[in-house]
Amino acid sequence: MDVAAYLVNSTRGGLGNLAAYLAAHVLLCLLPAFYIAGAMTALIPKESVTRFLGRDTRRAVSYPAAALAGGLLAVCSCTIVPLFAGIYKKGAGIGPAITFLFFAPAANILALVYTGSVIGVDLALARLFLSLAFGIGIGLIMALLFRADDAAHDAATSQMFAAQSDKGMSRTALIFLLTWVALLLVGTLKLDIFTGSYIYVNLPLAGAQEFQALLDRLVPFDAVKGEEGVSLQGVLLILLLAAIGLASWRGFERIHDGFSAWTKAAIGLIGVTLLVAAVNMQATPAGLSVGFTGKFFGVLFALAVLFEIGRVYLTEDELRDWLWESWRFVKQIFPLLVVGVFLVGVIRVLIRPEWIESLAGSNTLLGNLTGVAFGVFMYFPTLVEVPIAQLFLSLGMHRGPLLAYLMADPELSLQSILILSAIIGKLKTWTYVVWVALFSTMAGLIYGAWVDGMSLGLVAIYLGLFLTLLALALGLVSQRNQQQDDKQAQTL
Amino acid sequence: MLTIKILGPGCANCKRLEEIARKAASDLNVTAEFTKVTDYNDILAYDLVSTPGLVINEKLVSSGRIPSPASVAAWIDEAMKTA
Repeated sequence: MDVAAYLVNSTRGGLGNLAAYLAAHVLLCLLPAFYIAGAMTALIPKESVTRFLGRDTRRAVSYPAAALAGGLLAVCSCTIVPLFAGIYKKGAGIGPAITFLFFAPAANILALVYTGSVIGVDLALARLFLSLAFGIGIGLIMALLFRADDAAHDAATSQMFAAQSDKGMSRTALIFLLTWVALLLVGTLKLDIFTGSYIYVNLPLAGAQEFQALLDRLVPFDAVKGEEGVSLQGVLLILLLAAIGLASWRGFERIHDGFSAWTKAAIGLIGVTLLVAAVNMQATPAGLSVGFTGKFFGVLFALAVLFEIGRVYLTEDELRDWLWESWRFVKQIFPLLVVGVFLVGVIRVLIRPEWIESLAGSNTLLGNLTGVAFGVFMYFPTLVEVPIAQLFLSLGMHRGPLLAYLMADPELSLQSILILSAIIGKLKTWTYVVWVALFSTMAGLIYGAWVDGMSLGLVAIYLGLFLTLLALALGLVSQRNQQQDDKQAQTL
Repeated sequence: MLTIKILGPGCANCKRLEEIARKAASDLNVTAEFTKVTDYNDILAYDLVSTPGLVINEKLVSSGRIPSPASVAAWIDEAMKTA
């Protein structure tokens, strides 16, 4: 094959992939998720969660609180490391701080929603539960291994957490946040009540079918290979998305100087786009058939509630902080995601499925280790790991190694390892890295076994056995340390 | 003469905060010395959990968010009166 044809072919693959992604996954999934992430950052007072992370808090409270803080407060790696530094230096034990560090990138709202929508709800749930169990496990291990350092560190700073105010979250802000979550669920859950259409309207739009046929020729797709085409509705949504981008740039970038007409236009466009994404459009010979789905009415209702809360109950400061933080996430993550998705489309043309299949086609130890190693040495910006994972899946990777990769990639990259060692030191960092690699491999093996048909009970027993062994070992070491301390105290 | 410190590792929010603070000071015809504090140990010497933080005359007035220009102006005004 000559080079020119090769280039054209791969560029077309990239663009096609990008168009399909923007149309199918971004709206109703990523768009609300970005606004939820913004609301979490802007409206939840960080002190209300971090005050549970102090040294004096019981372990049964501080570790779950650390995971909760990770899931709620830190949306992308850019916020995690500063917050981690803050929490650690302010006197949280290394254990809860590590739990926070582990859980945040693996199971924050953007990552989970995106994984669920692109790859499958089963993998998203596996990611959530295994991250929770292992995040706490690794936190406990680190706390135990570096007990002595921790005690010295804590003595200096432990009072600071006690001094924090217990300013809670306002109830309006909570309702606002929950309504966004409801909107997201209505938009993405594939239940009959939401996907079924109740009212049909036929628009006499001549040429709709010809246009759809043209689109199918431009972006040829093969459903078997996991590729997706672009529909007429998709084109409309991509255009609306571009309009939102423009209006947001003008309206949100300078939002601290006040709300402009652009701001209002951007908000209006977001509402319209979410509604358009929720209807069911089909090109027919007579024109365009538009079905108003249950989803449409659900989204409409949620938007009305959000609008009312925003207009009447939220203060101007809260609204501004929320819009700004959401916009900042979009600005920071979305361009990289677009580039990433494009490149995935290009690479898809180049990789041969046999390579992936021979390396990680079945749920073996080697396959899982390969997934983890790939995750560590490749650095992908936040969320780009998800389209990459889908690429592997469609090329024949087993779901077990895939989960191992998905667990390891956001946690570990050479870049984050370097930053981390500046904060907690080399020894602690590498210990953490080894444990994460080990746990990710375990997660892949266990989940893969379940996918291969092992009964849920057996999986639970294995997982339970593994965790019990770990807990026992930790308990023993901890007891021995305690006795040594007592002896030391006596001889002193 | 005020000393205004911007606490943060150099993220987008810190730059925006500095912009707002500088503008507020010049609007009020206040001369102020601006310092950017980027080292984590120095930042965490102040009582804050998340950046960006704004410190006027060694008093932490805001953290974790970008305050509105109006409130920054009010803080500067207050600091001038007590100084």
